[in-house]
Amino acid sequence: MTIVREHASVEAPASAGRALLRVRDLRKHFPIKQGALQRVVGHVRAVDGVSFDVRPGETVGVVGESGCGKSTLGRCISGLTDPTAGGVYYGMSDEDDARLDALLAIPEAERQQAQREELERLEVGHRVDRLQGDAWRAYRRNCQVVFQDSFSSLNPRQLVKNIIGRPLKVYREASGGDLLERVTELLESVGLGRHHLYRYPHQLSGGQRQRVSIARALALKPALIVLDEPTSALDVSVQAQILNLLGDLQAEYGLTYLFISHDLGVVRHMSDRVVVMYLGEIVERSSRHDIFTAPLHPYTQSLMAARPDVMEGSTEKGWLLEGTVPDPARPPQGCRFHTRCPVVTPLCGWEVDDVVRTLEGADAGLDALDAVQRHSPFHAELAFTSEDAAERLVRSLRSDGVKAAMRDAIVELERTGASVEVRFHEVDPVPLEEVRPAHLTSCILHTSRRAELDERTP
Amino acid sequence: MSDAVRPLDAPAPRADAPAERRAIASVEDLRIHFSTKAGTVHAVDGVSFDIYDGEALGLVGETGCGKSVTARSFLRLVPMPPGVHAGGRVLFRPSQTCGACGGAGCEVCVRTGRVPMPCRTCGGVGCPSCDGAGAEAIDTMTAPEDRLRSIRGNRIAMIFQDPGKALNPALSIGDQLAEVLYAHRASEVLSRAGLDPADRGATSLLVRRMAGQRSTMAERLALRVPGLRADARKVQRVADEWVAASLAETHIPDPRKIMRAYPHELSGGMKQRVMIAQALACDPELLIADEPTTALDVTIQARILDLIRELQDRHRSSVLYISHDLSVVRRVCDRIAVMYAGKVVETREAAELFRAPLHPYTRGLLGATPSHREERSRLAAIEGTVPELIDPPAACRFHPRCPHAAEVCTTVEPTLESPPAAEGRVACFLYRSPAEVGVEPEQMPTLERTR
Repeated sequence: MTIVREHASVEAPASAGRALLRVRDLRKHFPIKQGALQRVVGHVRAVDGVSFDVRPGETVGVVGESGCGKSTLGRCISGLTDPTAGGVYYGMSDEDDARLDALLAIPEAERQQAQREELERLEVGHRVDRLQGDAWRAYRRNCQVVFQDSFSSLNPRQLVKNIIGRPLKVYREASGGDLLERVTELLESVGLGRHHLYRYPHQLSGGQRQRVSIARALALKPALIVLDEPTSALDVSVQAQILNLLGDLQAEYGLTYLFISHDLGVVRHMSDRVVVMYLGEIVERSSRHDIFTAPLHPYTQSLMAARPDVMEGSTEKGWLLEGTVPDPARPPQGCRFHTRCPVVTPLCGWEVDDVVRTLEGADAGLDALDAVQRHSPFHAELAFTSEDAAERLVRSLRSDGVKAAMRDAIVELERTGASVEVRFHEVDPVPLEEVRPAHLTSCILHTSRRAELDERTP
Repeated sequence: MSDAVRPLDAPAPRADAPAERRAIASVEDLRIHFSTKAGTVHAVDGVSFDIYDGEALGLVGETGCGKSVTARSFLRLVPMPPGVHAGGRVLFRPSQTCGACGGAGCEVCVRTGRVPMPCRTCGGVGCPSCDGAGAEAIDTMTAPEDRLRSIRGNRIAMIFQDPGKALNPALSIGDQLAEVLYAHRASEVLSRAGLDPADRGATSLLVRRMAGQRSTMAERLALRVPGLRADARKVQRVADEWVAASLAETHIPDPRKIMRAYPHELSGGMKQRVMIAQALACDPELLIADEPTTALDVTIQARILDLIRELQDRHRSSVLYISHDLSVVRRVCDRIAVMYAGKVVETREAAELFRAPLHPYTRGLLGATPSHREERSRLAAIEGTVPELIDPPAACRFHPRCPHAAEVCTTVEPTLESPPAAEGRVACFLYRSPAEVGVEPEQMPTLERTR
């Protein structure tokens, strides 16, 4: 499998500078276990090759539908989950970073002994999941998390003073009267007061609980706060208060945020740069301005069309998405969005699974399907129970019932008896490419693969 | 029934409604309280609004403002106790097909194809029980239980927020949709199956008992006895076809396959479509949607909203759409009622409300919603929190958070009134007596100033 890397284009020259955090080809796969022996039968690829940088003092917004891996990404970054491959690097100098990128660019098998040792040194020193002892403590201290559900993330048996005071105690920052003083200060900085010290979480409203969560995250003066949908459980008026508070705190303490949300309005309000995720991959990454005024990837455009907005009522219907998100255990080939894309092309990664999806459609041909013999993701023989069913599939694949782009991608379609051999044009994975300054997308309509497409359809 | 064919005069037009619009449901000064240890919570405290024939009304408000309790009152689904019906009515005015045009739409029925059902007591002449309007009006807060049962799911249907909880996990989709038909359309199912609904035959009887959910195991077994089995299968086939048709209406691919599935096998969006199909199976006059898309992703939400709009247009039914999200309501609704702390503070045409909101709370909500179409440096958050609804004082509920609060707001409760130079109704002294609030006419707040 080719591992997609795009380090050369990670930073725009204009905004080049030290990054606080570097995410490099991060992967997190969860095993699917089945049967009495809990045998691993597959993996859910929650995060599948994500790379980006977080610079000090900025807010990086991560948007996507549920199940796109944005929360898993947040958990990997905050060190709550260990990644399967790749990693999150913290506290590296620019030279180290350049070395790291150079080393990672060399395929693993070709690395020299010296290179391997150097990489090992960098990883032990900076990769979040390999940090030990004091370095690990320092990272945990510098990276705090605010979760979506403030009810389950605050201990119901602890008083607010203990909840906020706990990190200060653990890191021996304060004790006794001093601790109480610090906790009060923190409460005041998030808009609560001394009278909230001796309350339990259940005595507070949703907005107040989220403020306590934020105060707890602030207690150790962290560099980075991962905000995982901090306002989606809150009412609009309270959400506005919390978002304003987060903005004020960032200005005051120079905080860096990783802001995870499904709400485009909130992300536009909060973020400096935006990462759009779909099925574990980044499909588009750019500055807030570019993402919202000139989105390139059709998925980003669909998200914007789908989200009703208070500023305008109706939206362009053409961008409403069909179907559902495919199974992340078997992500589609090529561009993962091609199964739902409104502007799909023959080069987007049509594959055998798309034929099966066609069969699942209206006329229930799936029941007649006996077996699928795959030669590759793009080439297979489908055996049916009857010649009739096989013929029906061939006819439907040639009809207007399937998208023209899919028809054009078929290289071979032949029926012999009750089996159908189908082969699609093979395509490579679509890497993120910098198509405009500091604007990356994986959509082939905008990347260098565009030429290939133009060649096919003059 | 010859009386039923005679078209009736529409009920007397209300002051704020254009004459041709008929209110199919009215909430009149509804008060629902909950007794708690801490005191009586005034969850719904004097709510009034109308739902006109064929319109989509949005009921918007934040958590705990009483919007769901109001909606549930339409079907009397608020558990009592702890709920207490402290006053007011929820009137539902059932319709029937217009006799003059047979539902095609004519002058008599103002092109809706429907006319109000005549009052049961006076037959449409006008009597005290129907406020002299002659139209049948059922107060769902006091109607007898069996009367309400015939309305629930039949004339008023409801879509709930969490489709995972609202569907029965033990029944296949086909079976639970058929239940609605057996309950409300048993006669039609029987006649479509070629059986005489008036016949007191065994199948007919058993199907009716099944509809009433009164059938025993023995009776269900009886339907498998060879003599009855043929009839039972016919009935089943008709019900299946009907269910498949209503599922197909919600654009579910391969309805027959979905009918065999159980709720846990479906995705959230699919489950919500099943809920919608179930709600619309009996072609209700009023559809109540209680935050139907809150649990769904944005892309799925967009499709469900479009579906509701499309089906509403096709069935020409009225919709009461409840949401906390103004942007969603903007997509679906013609008219909007904004609730705050158990009271309606503003009812306006949707376009007008978004262009120029009147009540300071509505303006605050609009200012506080982040938009992805527009950049704003700071959100105009509404300061403070929602007040406790335990024994609230006689005052504007919003005054502690209102930027324009004056002396009068803390001592008198504003009522919903038509504001000068604007349509709709608003409960704010800013429009009734600006002098008292201390705001000069030229300093009247606008949405732009809020931002």
